[in-house]
Amino acid sequence: MSVVASKARRLLADFRLFFILLLLMAVLTMLSPMFLSIGNLSNVLWSVCIIGIMCTGFIYAPVTGGIDLSVGSMASLSGIIANVLMNNAHVPLALALLITLGFGVLVGLVNGIVTTKFRVPPFIVTMAAKTYLFGIAMLVSNGDTITIMGPQGFLTIGVGKFLGLPIPIYIMLVLTAASHFLLKQTVFGRRAIAVGANEVSAKLSGVDPDRTRIIAYILSSGTATIAGIVMASLTQQAYAPNGAGYEFDVITAVVIGGTSLMGGTGSVVGALIGAVMVGFINNGLNLMNMPASYHPLVTGIVILIALILNQGVTLPAILRRQFGRKDAPK
Amino acid sequence: MSDQAAESDLLLVCRTITKSYNGPVVLSDVDFSMKRGEVHALVGENGAGKSTLIKIITGVTNRNSGEMLFEGTAIGIEHSKVASQSLGIAVIYQELSLIHGMTVAQNLFLTKEPRFRAAPFIDIGRMNSLAQALIDRYGFELKATDIIDGLSIAQRQTVEILKALNSRASLIIMDEPTSSLTSSESAQLFGIIRRLKAEGIGVLYISHRMEEVYDLSDRVTVLRDGHNVAVLEKEQINPAEIIRLMIGRRLEERDALHTMCRSNAEVVLDVRNLCSENRFNGISFQLHAGEILGIGGLVGSGRTEIVRALYGIDRFDSGSIAYLGKPWSPDVASSIRGGFGFIPEERRLQGIMGAISMTGNIGITNLDVTRRHGFVSAKKELALARRAIELLNIKPDNPDIPVGNLSGGNQQKVVVGKWLIRDLKLLIVDEPTVGIDIGAKEELYQTFARLSAAGVSILLVSSDLPELISISTRILVLRQGCIIQEFADGIVTEEDVLRASSGLVEGAVR
Repeated sequence: MSVVASKARRLLADFRLFFILLLLMAVLTMLSPMFLSIGNLSNVLWSVCIIGIMCTGFIYAPVTGGIDLSVGSMASLSGIIANVLMNNAHVPLALALLITLGFGVLVGLVNGIVTTKFRVPPFIVTMAAKTYLFGIAMLVSNGDTITIMGPQGFLTIGVGKFLGLPIPIYIMLVLTAASHFLLKQTVFGRRAIAVGANEVSAKLSGVDPDRTRIIAYILSSGTATIAGIVMASLTQQAYAPNGAGYEFDVITAVVIGGTSLMGGTGSVVGALIGAVMVGFINNGLNLMNMPASYHPLVTGIVILIALILNQGVTLPAILRRQFGRKDAPK
Repeated sequence: MSDQAAESDLLLVCRTITKSYNGPVVLSDVDFSMKRGEVHALVGENGAGKSTLIKIITGVTNRNSGEMLFEGTAIGIEHSKVASQSLGIAVIYQELSLIHGMTVAQNLFLTKEPRFRAAPFIDIGRMNSLAQALIDRYGFELKATDIIDGLSIAQRQTVEILKALNSRASLIIMDEPTSSLTSSESAQLFGIIRRLKAEGIGVLYISHRMEEVYDLSDRVTVLRDGHNVAVLEKEQINPAEIIRLMIGRRLEERDALHTMCRSNAEVVLDVRNLCSENRFNGISFQLHAGEILGIGGLVGSGRTEIVRALYGIDRFDSGSIAYLGKPWSPDVASSIRGGFGFIPEERRLQGIMGAISMTGNIGITNLDVTRRHGFVSAKKELALARRAIELLNIKPDNPDIPVGNLSGGNQQKVVVGKWLIRDLKLLIVDEPTVGIDIGAKEELYQTFARLSAAGVSILLVSSDLPELISISTRILVLRQGCIIQEFADGIVTEEDVLRASSGLVEGAVR
């Protein structure tokens, strides 16, 4: 195999997702002329920024071979906590946000310690966290939808604009860049990938798998907290069920982006593209005036097609494997 | 031995079995037979063809030519695992195949659970009582409703045997059944084997432990390099003779490679009275600079456990280690910083990260070199990978390729390469050449020799006797967690090491 051919193939593999995104955009442009306007594209980015922000930290759970199902509940709860701190306890904005973030970090620490030191599978640990965090949110908010009236600085986070673009988009892009850098260029990133790829081998190479995993869960909870603050500000609402189901949107985005749930691989930029694709699909359906009750059905099918395309397995190959001559036993 | 009267007693007959895997002939014209109710040991060195013969008998792989008869019925070349099971051939592998989380009864009746007569549901009550009846018939201390996870290895083995009995097996093959058993558990197993024999069941027993073979077997078949070199009757069985037959007459010219010598160089590692309960006991030795110290012994004799403890993966209970003259309490990270390297057994499970590139695999042990304030220099990392590729002639030489896609030999070179580019003082290698081709093997041997010449000490654990003897400059042989013999001077033969491993030592040291 020549070097050029292998490079070309790798390039194609690396950018396959991007081509799928372009394909989707082309289809949507044909279906609706409004799709490809700056205003609309900016709206889509705005709508996916909560998922996009969550992805930047969440991705370390699957990269290290785990999962974090608590990010949705964590996000709702952080909006409620921030509101209580700012509007009931009258803590200054910056401090309130810091305390909220600190709480998120604490939850991640607990998730990480329980999965690594107590050896409870992360699926179970974070599912429990999802439930008890929702419980705390319900208790603190009394189950009510709280409208957040201020402070102004807080509301600016979600709806303010800078150079014509909403601030959450900047937060998402900055966190994506930072997370991409963390995964690809730092010692922690290398260790996270190694632990996910083969924990035993990583351990024998001097990596502390438990420590690495604990940090991964802290990052996941931490960014979920930031996403929750943005969500509360954007919707001017603190409501316990607000973040319900976000964990699955985040998993979808990350998986479309080429991150294996088995660990050892991950792409932060891919996850962002995945989130944007989901956003585009929803946006396209809105532009086409499709009734909301059809949205989940269509979204599900399009995601499935995108995932199949991204696997790079062709139908003839499957048929050959299924019906072709069986290999002689080795 | 093949007169008409004996022929009808024969459970299994194999005639002129030949098998080659794409080229090299693994078994050539092997004759093998088993009588009903016989305990028959199959012995031979690693690579002699024992497992291939078993695979052919059990239908895991097909022979190229030769005849096979089981209970008088001819078995065609296109034999299969399912067919062998339905004929009544059962295998108990070293890695047990029971399903965790299920009960003993569920495992015994897997896929043939008794159903209710009226409805297609499993009759759990009847299943449990049938299972319990079977257990009681053999007088085992088990309950049909015990969950597999709570059982000891020996008890699980018992369940495997029951499973074979439940499927009415008339030939049970046991592959190294005692390697993970304590001596009292082994004794229990031997009782069971005698019981099976009394019931007319043939037991084909594969073991490296000579004393077991001696005690237990009615006959012994010795394989060497794919040939059946001898079938010994009960009265001919004698451990020393078996060892001699297993090894045969080797070329004398290799003797130069087999000469051991003591080293006077600086002591790198000084291990004193290291103990770890149920693993090893009273281990003391010194490792000198540039020495290649071989650690021989059977699988399960504590070899791997000792090197793991020295590297800092597992804790030990008592004893002391001095490294370069200073007291040393090992943990993996500080071992690496201190100049240790570790090449684990089972490359796929412990050595490589298959989905990750060569650069990633090599980079992970060298983060101390490539990092700066927590950031990794991709350029330095790539340079290290390229150096390892060049040093070890890794093919293909593209550092971006996932290591899982390389051949076994090249995978192992990556595992070696990630240490080689470091400033090593001590390299620990555990079974470094299992499953790799001869070319890569030879290259690794040269690499070890080069390292040793440069003053790096090597601890080599190996079951491959020619490898152990030709590479090492000194050999310690372990048996049941203790050093039973040291070979520090003169010529050492495979026979010497095997005899020591089996406990046949005249003047045991220490």
